[in-house]
Amino acid sequence: MAVYKRNYTVYQGAVTPPGARVLVLARYAFNEAWSSKITVGLFIFCLLPFIGSLLVIYLANNPVARALIGGRGPETLAIDAFFFLRVQQTQSWLALVMAAWIAPRLITFDLTDNALPILLSHPISRFGYVFGKFLALFTSLSLITWLPCLLLFADEAYSSPQPWAMSNLHIATGLIAGSVIWIAFLSVLGLALSSWVKWRVVATGVIFAAVFVPAGIGAIFSAVLRTKWGLLLNVPIMMSSLWQRLLGAPEPQDGSFAMPTLAIAIMLSLASLVCLGMLNRRIRAREVVRG
Amino acid sequence: MNDRIIFEDVSKFYGEVLGVNRISLSIPPGITTLVGPNGSGKTTIMNLMTGLVQPSNGRITVLGLRPTDAELFSIVGYCTQFDFFPRGITGWQFVFDSLMLHGMEEAMAIDLAAEAIERVQLGEAASRKIAGYSKGMRQKIRLAQSIAHRPRVLVLDEPLNGLDPMARAESIELFEELGRQGMHVLISSHILDEVDRISDRVILITGGYLIAEGNIHQVRQEVHEKPMQVLIRCDHPELLAAKMFSINHCVEARLHADGKGVFLRTADIDQFYSMLNAIAAEGLVKIDAVAPADDDANAIYQYLIGTEGGPS
Repeated sequence: MAVYKRNYTVYQGAVTPPGARVLVLARYAFNEAWSSKITVGLFIFCLLPFIGSLLVIYLANNPVARALIGGRGPETLAIDAFFFLRVQQTQSWLALVMAAWIAPRLITFDLTDNALPILLSHPISRFGYVFGKFLALFTSLSLITWLPCLLLFADEAYSSPQPWAMSNLHIATGLIAGSVIWIAFLSVLGLALSSWVKWRVVATGVIFAAVFVPAGIGAIFSAVLRTKWGLLLNVPIMMSSLWQRLLGAPEPQDGSFAMPTLAIAIMLSLASLVCLGMLNRRIRAREVVRG
Repeated sequence: MNDRIIFEDVSKFYGEVLGVNRISLSIPPGITTLVGPNGSGKTTIMNLMTGLVQPSNGRITVLGLRPTDAELFSIVGYCTQFDFFPRGITGWQFVFDSLMLHGMEEAMAIDLAAEAIERVQLGEAASRKIAGYSKGMRQKIRLAQSIAHRPRVLVLDEPLNGLDPMARAESIELFEELGRQGMHVLISSHILDEVDRISDRVILITGGYLIAEGNIHQVRQEVHEKPMQVLIRCDHPELLAAKMFSINHCVEARLHADGKGVFLRTADIDQFYSMLNAIAAEGLVKIDAVAPADDDANAIYQYLIGTEGGPS
């Protein structure tokens, strides 16, 4: 029988608030995401349209450069809501590629390595764990969506010979709001689907499928029931409509069905809730190996 | 604060699969070992204790805290059997980041990480990437991570797996030291010889049910259907065996292979020792040594769970 000396010193010092601990997890996740050369390569690729857009803004605001390429007028290189809509659409779909690559790295490794018991045996909740991963993914996607878009806005504001920024502030807010909604949705979707698929490559495919397959189902739904509401399953069209309205870009005049913004918001909220439910079911410390 | 880990009629079901059923325990400070075959519910008990899973029925308190209390995670250190490490980090970073997750300030985390790494004697290797560690070093860094925040309760799932004899001895020494200092050290292990040497008490479980609990020697004495076996080293084992057989409680005698001792089984160990003293006092047999031959975790395991040797 042991003789108890009772001289063990328990830590009783100060501790940081729970929010600060989530940032530790976010840092882990961010490092994990960016430790891959493919992530860096994708990031560079995702910035190519941004560089192209910088060039367009330069040309639009520089008469000499414009004259050198043929002297087209400023109307053909208009830097307006439509221009930013195109930029935002391009960056947002590239963000889908990035999310499909990064999200599985953040979750599937932990699941395959049975990491959750060790991580969740710290004073951090399941919500904190997911939120840390979410922050890492959201930050990574921010680097290729609203941040470069805002840089373009700032560049145009600086380069434009006329006062431009104040009269177009709605474009800046639209860029931020549209991108934040999209990458928040992508982050939750990516994490939820990754938590159910242990193979990283498969998870990447499933994320793409989750965005595009419902569009096909929606088209069938619309054709069979002779309705336009099947478009609510079409994420690309739904998001394009939303971005268009947020940026104040002109609506298409071809008589196509205009989805109500409320319906889009409800669909995105429902999909996000389903994703949160999936995460809630999957992210548990329970070990499947009993012994 | 209560100084016990208490399970009151605790059951855990994973859907229709039984984890553990109606377990009641009261574990005081010191070293407690969970023994049972694979799938018996050892890890479930550890997960329940560390708040990682919630019981389906019953009540658990760890030093007065319920598993749902956030404070629980600060007083418990858990070393799982799974070989998980964030990829690409060093041993030192692993311990440091764990401390940051426990909410330590950076300066304090640096001090505590250094202390824990020194305690498991990982030394210079802590600055190397874990990916290059041997299995034993990985086990050590996991142990360092679990003790670094100075918990009151240390839960170790198969902590001796993969360790070489030297590292195993060092780890056992550390567990003994922590147990002596008044920490709750709960170990699941299948290395029963070592368990036997360091444990203050054992908990035997199989199929999710508690089979026995308590001090190893006390548990052995409670196994009435298996008379205790004692090895007596002496100069005339045959004579001693004949004398002892005259006692009703002595049920079996077997000569030791070297002819210089005899294994005797008795149903009443107290009377057995009294009679042995009397025979020694007569001077007919010179007794050199007396030692219980099946008063250990391995024998208890074999008698109660019915498998030869320890669990795999």
